[in-house]
Amino acid sequence: MKIKYLIFFTILLSIGLGYPILAQEIPSSDEVQKLKQEIETLKSQTNFNKPGVSRFLLRGYAHSGMQVTNEAFSFVGGSFNPLFIYKQSDRLLFESEWELELTGGEVEFGIEYANMSYLLSKTLTFRAGKILVPFGIFVPNLHPAWINKLPTGPLGAGHDGILPTSDIGLELRGGSYVGNLKVNYSLYAINGSQLNDGIDEPEEAGILHHAILPDNNKGKTIGGRVGIFPLPNSSLELGFSGMYGKVGAEDSDLEDVAALHYAVDLSYVRTIPSWSSVIDLKAQYTAVNVDDANFPSHENPDDLITFDNKSTTWFAQLSLRPALLENKFIRNLEFAGRYSTLKTPEGSEWEADNNQIDIGINYWVDWRTLFKISYRISNTGENHQEEEEPGHGGGTIGNTFFIHWAIGF
Amino acid sequence: MIIAFFTALTVGALISSCATTSSLTEAKSGAQLWGENCIRCHNAPSPETFSDVEWDVAIMHMRVRANLTENEAVKISAFLKTAN
Repeated sequence: MKIKYLIFFTILLSIGLGYPILAQEIPSSDEVQKLKQEIETLKSQTNFNKPGVSRFLLRGYAHSGMQVTNEAFSFVGGSFNPLFIYKQSDRLLFESEWELELTGGEVEFGIEYANMSYLLSKTLTFRAGKILVPFGIFVPNLHPAWINKLPTGPLGAGHDGILPTSDIGLELRGGSYVGNLKVNYSLYAINGSQLNDGIDEPEEAGILHHAILPDNNKGKTIGGRVGIFPLPNSSLELGFSGMYGKVGAEDSDLEDVAALHYAVDLSYVRTIPSWSSVIDLKAQYTAVNVDDANFPSHENPDDLITFDNKSTTWFAQLSLRPALLENKFIRNLEFAGRYSTLKTPEGSEWEADNNQIDIGINYWVDWRTLFKISYRISNTGENHQEEEEPGHGGGTIGNTFFIHWAIGF
Repeated sequence: MIIAFFTALTVGALISSCATTSSLTEAKSGAQLWGENCIRCHNAPSPETFSDVEWDVAIMHMRVRANLTENEAVKISAFLKTAN
């Protein structure tokens, strides 16, 4: 009897489990065909949108803000800098950064750089066109507004400064290892700076102007930079830069005048877990030596003057960001400070002995967008133009309060 | 001047082509190289910033700009494309 009940319930159980399987429909051949057609359509759409070998990227940055001095309170226009990057193949790249700057109510347009790079080997790249001159670290690496920790650059930097900016030429650059020691290097030939002879602008006699076209002589300026990374985690970089070339105009009294630029730079970026912070130290010392030359006097152009045409500038900058803290607001704060100096030739019309201290707090909205609040203390020494301008490449007169924003995109 | 320049270029090319990838780099992961190199100038970019196609271009730009070796660029690229 018990066995009969067991057999009966086993049959019932089998029917109960098997029914759903038996109830499933087997797709018809039309449905299978329709499914195949949908797959082919999707494949076709995917192939249509598949990117080719050539790739284009539009990026860049913009910044603006306000500054307050004893004399003025103004919102400043800042600039918009689109960056066009075109990868034509695995070895060929073209890139260009434009600058549209709002100054004095007008828009000034400039091409910061535009060059083609060809990857010759695993460790060597050839570059041609208008390049950011690889001299020091501030201009080539740190000048974009969303990278610069403070609203403006150090003394000596900028379009009217003594540091070279960009120029047209040829370059070999790259990075490699000597054993376990990482190094990077650059060797270039560019048009070079041009010496102001003071004939049209006596107050600028002896100044070197950068990125002026066409070149004023047949000589090219040769330069290079070597960077070494003594520590295995690449946190410390020491750089050595040099640049030499004729700067006087061809067939002029100054045609044999040459200039030597040299610089040492340091970069140290390190996460310090015990501080829950990242520290970033940057420094650069630059000297510019121009050969002796005679220039017309500002008071009487028939008289000639001469001076020891040597200029120096240096800066040291430190920032600290508690990036490892849990509090989201505090970990996006960054404290930054910079000291910079500029000394231009004694006896020249553009003589200056300035220094400035910038102290600021930044707030990072994301990894490439920030607000900057800072205060600058400017000290001007024995300047000829003390009451009018801070001198060539000399920043602002007086103390200044800044609020800026910068976005990288 | 031109001859001297191209002589220097040739010497530089020979010297750099002799340098090999270090055992140190071989041991480092893409994430480690990303953390060490990007932060030298700016904040390390979030991997989800760009698509794989966009990272191809961005990495090539940064390889030239930051003087990364090919090995470093390849590893960083692979990491960013995996993590985005």
